[in-house]
Amino acid sequence: MRWKPKLSSLVVALAGMFLFGLVLRHYWPPSRSLAFPRGAIIVGVDASYAPFALDNGESLQGLDIDLANALASEIGLPLRFLNIGHYGLYDALISGEVELLISALRIDPNRMEDVRYSLPYFDNGLVLVTPPNSALPDAHDLTGKAVAFEYASSADSFIRAWEAQGIQLERLPYELPQYALDSLRLGRADAALLDATTYLLYRKEHSEWRSERRYVSHVPVAIAVRADNVDAWKLVNGALSALKGKAELAKIIDKWFQAN
Amino acid sequence: MPQKWRKPLSGDRTKVRWRSWMASVAVLLLVLILYLRPVPWAGDKLIVEQQIVDSAKSQVCAHTLLENEVEERKILRSLELVREMGAGTIVQFFPWAYAEPEAGAYSWGIADRIVRQARLQGLRVIARLGLVPEWARAADASQTTTLNFLPESSFTHFADYAATFARRYAGEVEHIIIWNEPNLSFEWGYRPVDPAAYVRLLRISYERVKAANPDAVVLAGALAPTLEPPGSAAGMNEIDFLTAMYRHGAGAYFDALAIHTYGFLDPPAAQPKSNQLNFRRAELLRDVMLAHGDGQKPAYITESGWNDHPRWTGAVRPSQRAAYTVRAFQFVEDNWDWVENLCIWAFRFPADTLSHPDNYTLVNAEFLPKPIYFEVQAYARGWERPQAAWLPRPVED
Repeated sequence: MRWKPKLSSLVVALAGMFLFGLVLRHYWPPSRSLAFPRGAIIVGVDASYAPFALDNGESLQGLDIDLANALASEIGLPLRFLNIGHYGLYDALISGEVELLISALRIDPNRMEDVRYSLPYFDNGLVLVTPPNSALPDAHDLTGKAVAFEYASSADSFIRAWEAQGIQLERLPYELPQYALDSLRLGRADAALLDATTYLLYRKEHSEWRSERRYVSHVPVAIAVRADNVDAWKLVNGALSALKGKAELAKIIDKWFQAN
Repeated sequence: MPQKWRKPLSGDRTKVRWRSWMASVAVLLLVLILYLRPVPWAGDKLIVEQQIVDSAKSQVCAHTLLENEVEERKILRSLELVREMGAGTIVQFFPWAYAEPEAGAYSWGIADRIVRQARLQGLRVIARLGLVPEWARAADASQTTTLNFLPESSFTHFADYAATFARRYAGEVEHIIIWNEPNLSFEWGYRPVDPAAYVRLLRISYERVKAANPDAVVLAGALAPTLEPPGSAAGMNEIDFLTAMYRHGAGAYFDALAIHTYGFLDPPAAQPKSNQLNFRRAELLRDVMLAHGDGQKPAYITESGWNDHPRWTGAVRPSQRAAYTVRAFQFVEDNWDWVENLCIWAFRFPADTLSHPDNYTLVNAEFLPKPIYFEVQAYARGWERPQAAWLPRPVED
């Protein structure tokens, strides 16, 4: 009897091939030439965010610049920067002018139709800082405690939200976040609330001072790649993982946040 | 005692099937009723009582961004917060592309609900018009056209939109800004900026708006503060652009100048300089008006403010932002009698941008007022601030 292909068999076969293709695409090693067809990695950066990227007139410097260099070396391609104002960053990526954005970018769910984000390489959320060896408190443990913060900052808004939840703490607002940490360091406050970057920079200035921190909110910072450039996304994530594995990423972060 | 099960006869089976159908339909109807009941009809209007603004400072104003709000209650909540802050005026964008998606076929739903809610909150609206619908952009061989690309052949279409808007909202919206920041290439459809072309657009718009509503106040300019050097592809500095506008006869075609002036790193009282961006740079634009005999016309500062992002190099600290903003309002009150309103960019974004633009707002996307909101509120409503906002710097004993 002659075998007659049925439409349903054809559909199943096509679906199987499609699924197989998807699986293959997922596990297939990424291609450098597909990811970076110009033979170099073109990185867009807004060099107006210290200490992530700054233009000192002669060259770009900062954590993001060092990270881009380390990634390029890990991927094995030369690197070129394009210094772009904030409002043009994503347009430059989507139009293909640059292949990566390394610019202290927060992961933005609204952009994920056009953009893939890498694994986060930094968390700039708010940290609750306390003296060493103190049990790091939850928000509810702060009732009756003196908490220092920068007036009108995001920490201030966070504390107002805690108060709205019924947590009664003693507010110690200061003009600058450094003063909030001074207050903690000098024993006037039980805790201080501020963003992680400011805390790390302060710690660099006061290397003799010991403290502990606990994140109360998370602001993951990541690299952006065009959504259809899956190869670049895989290469960047692979290189980031390698840098983490070799503790190179920690060294780059320490370079900008640790006292020499 | 339970009946012993028996195979249903064919007549029973029809009845059982019929009952199952009826039961399924009833359940489905119940689910639909429960699902749909709490949702108001799309055409429902929120019932709001007429409010008045309690303010001691008439110059206080905020730039709202309500055109992309889906839910009317969010428009209402934003405007309630504006009113409670003590601002009596808003600047609001009314995109042409939303109102006339097809040539001649107007759709006023979005604009209507904003204007209605603003009226009910007792707020004056300054309308900013722009954003070109696709049909009016025309094909351009040299580039993919953007939403800011207005070919000369469509100037009359834009003017017709402005006139139709002015007629529709006569008595409710009397202030109309013609275009936004035409001195930036980005805002001029990524083409070289062209003061003469902008003046042609202004002239046609002015004439048609005035014919539609003689009481309308036509605002020109809304120029971006920028230090772009001559020949820059990105734009032209606003002082040169305004001078060129006058050279091309703009003076006869606007009733007031819309000004954008940001403080950046300087306090509000810092001296204006031609090579620096700061708040009082607005005086350089005023000088151009005076030099062209336009001193009788007022100005409206339709965008202003400071940014307090912790890392951006164009930002100040949050405490400085709050203090500078209040001092800027005071500066206007004490020194600039030619300024009608100082409008803060921006009151609230519908969704956070997750970058430094968020640090221009007074209220976050979740409607939580930032501390600066309360500072502006205290100033606008004439409230005494009970104590210093922050403690002195701690020093070692």
